[in-house]
Amino acid sequence: MNHSSNHALDAPFAIEIKDLVKTYRSSFKKETFKAVDKVSINIKAGEVYGLIGPNGSGKSTTMKALLGLISPTSGLCKVFGCDSTKVDARSEIGFLPENPYFYKHQTSSETLKFYGNLCGMRGKYLNNKVNELLELTSLTHARNRRLGGYSKGMLQRVGLAQALIQNPKLLILDEPTAGVDPIGSREIRDLIFRLKEEGVTIFLCSHLLEQVQEVCDRVGIIFEGQMVNEGTLDELTAIENQHEVILENADEGLLESISELVRQHSSSGAKIVSSQTPRSSLEKLFIDTANNRKNKKS
Amino acid sequence: MSVSPESFKKTSFISLARIGVIASHTFTQLVRMKVFYFLIAFVILLWGAKQVIFQNETGGDTSPEQELRLIKSTGFAAMNMFSMLLALSATALLIPKDIEDRTLYTILCKPVPRLDYLLGKLLGVLALIFVSLVAMDLVLCFFLDQKYSEIIDIQTLTYTRQGMPQDMIEAKLANINAHGVSINIHLASFAIFLKAIVIASIALLISTFSTSTLFTLILTLIIIVIGLIQSDAREYADTMAKFGVENQLSKISLMVAVFFPDLQFLSIEDGVIDGHAVPLSIMGRITILSLFYLAIYVILSWFTFRKKEF
Repeated sequence: MNHSSNHALDAPFAIEIKDLVKTYRSSFKKETFKAVDKVSINIKAGEVYGLIGPNGSGKSTTMKALLGLISPTSGLCKVFGCDSTKVDARSEIGFLPENPYFYKHQTSSETLKFYGNLCGMRGKYLNNKVNELLELTSLTHARNRRLGGYSKGMLQRVGLAQALIQNPKLLILDEPTAGVDPIGSREIRDLIFRLKEEGVTIFLCSHLLEQVQEVCDRVGIIFEGQMVNEGTLDELTAIENQHEVILENADEGLLESISELVRQHSSSGAKIVSSQTPRSSLEKLFIDTANNRKNKKS
Repeated sequence: MSVSPESFKKTSFISLARIGVIASHTFTQLVRMKVFYFLIAFVILLWGAKQVIFQNETGGDTSPEQELRLIKSTGFAAMNMFSMLLALSATALLIPKDIEDRTLYTILCKPVPRLDYLLGKLLGVLALIFVSLVAMDLVLCFFLDQKYSEIIDIQTLTYTRQGMPQDMIEAKLANINAHGVSINIHLASFAIFLKAIVIASIALLISTFSTSTLFTLILTLIIIVIGLIQSDAREYADTMAKFGVENQLSKISLMVAVFFPDLQFLSIEDGVIDGHAVPLSIMGRITILSLFYLAIYVILSWFTFRKKEF
């Protein structure tokens, strides 16, 4: 993928949200509801940022404000220094909504061409880009099938491809692996890593905390419209007074010696909290099994 | 990777290319909904109208003008109905459906100004109506011409058998000629298209603030009914006034005319059915009036849609 970047003056942040407040008013009553309350987020270019929080915590509202789908009641949202309510800001954004719906009468190839055309892409360049993205999202075999017959996971991959069509420098992903099987989920995760290497900034909302932990450089936790915690994963998750050592091919004798050594230093407060055989994750087991079956078939 | 605010590609306020992309997509979407199947019904309807033979009061002879008039009135009524239904339902359904399905999110998250989206959707619907009306116009002309040729042959033979002189035969046939295929048929079809433009733009305006498809359909339908009866109401009020009966209807109907389009004014088919020629001045006037309505409703639609939150 090519991302041109010949710019004289660089914006300090890819995303700059400052004191964002979004209040909704009910139609007939004068009651107001604050969906987002003074949220501030700064994301550097090339960073992968995860926003997590329970349902109704204000994640989607924050995202919509970034995409210009709603106007902030107060505060500001900027994308690479450009006000997010301006149409220009969208030229650098790729967005994958949660459970994306597309026009069922179109094929995946037509869908990507349609979104490419909307971004001003034409001709051979667009065709090549469509082929590249279909390949990337493993949809080449289904390129001429109408989306009405696609599975949820396939639609998610079409969504990801359309988000990437104009080589955006900022990718906003709302639950990118919702409804995707573990293999597809891993592919999406690998793609996020690849895009990160290419310098794309990624803003991600997900309920899958493990996934957020795996791909994100920084994480924000939003609750009832307010940012309650934010930082790098190390800052947020490290238990400072504990240390983890994983041994391979260690016999009982060695383990006993280590335990004895720790006991000798018990006066300093050192102790073994747990000692067990690490287990493979169910996800890893599933992927290994599926890959073995695939290899046997081929 | 770094980007500066200055480096953003400037998105033009309005882009014909973008509007074209959305319009052609909307057109394809509607075509794939198989809306053109109604053309089969239209062909059957006109074929049926062509089979009808009127007997005049003295019996024996047929009434040829009436038969041609029947084909035209059936054709124009069906064209009016189909174009109105398409303008109303297609426009009223498309935008709320995009919002419900969240496909609108993915479109507006690309550098697409909301005005381009609205115009693209509207033009896609209008393109479909235009193509449908052209097809229906051709079908109408085909059946009308067939019937006309049959009538001319039969009448010429009948008059010749009756021993009528050639100049008298030609004079008699001249009356029938006025009901044959002419440019006036196409002008009436174009006037129906103008009506569809106005109805589609009303539906577009309502769908920008409506919360449901049903509400859009009902409200647009009410406005269409008001548009169709308001000139009759004005006429009735004027007649009453001539007889010295004071009423508020005249004032109300004038006020209504300010806010709602007079769709009756755009109807020229009745004259064409009666065999009258359409003066170009009237065509010019109704074209300008329709485009004026279109501009007003599109501006109002954009005004409500540009700040709409999703």
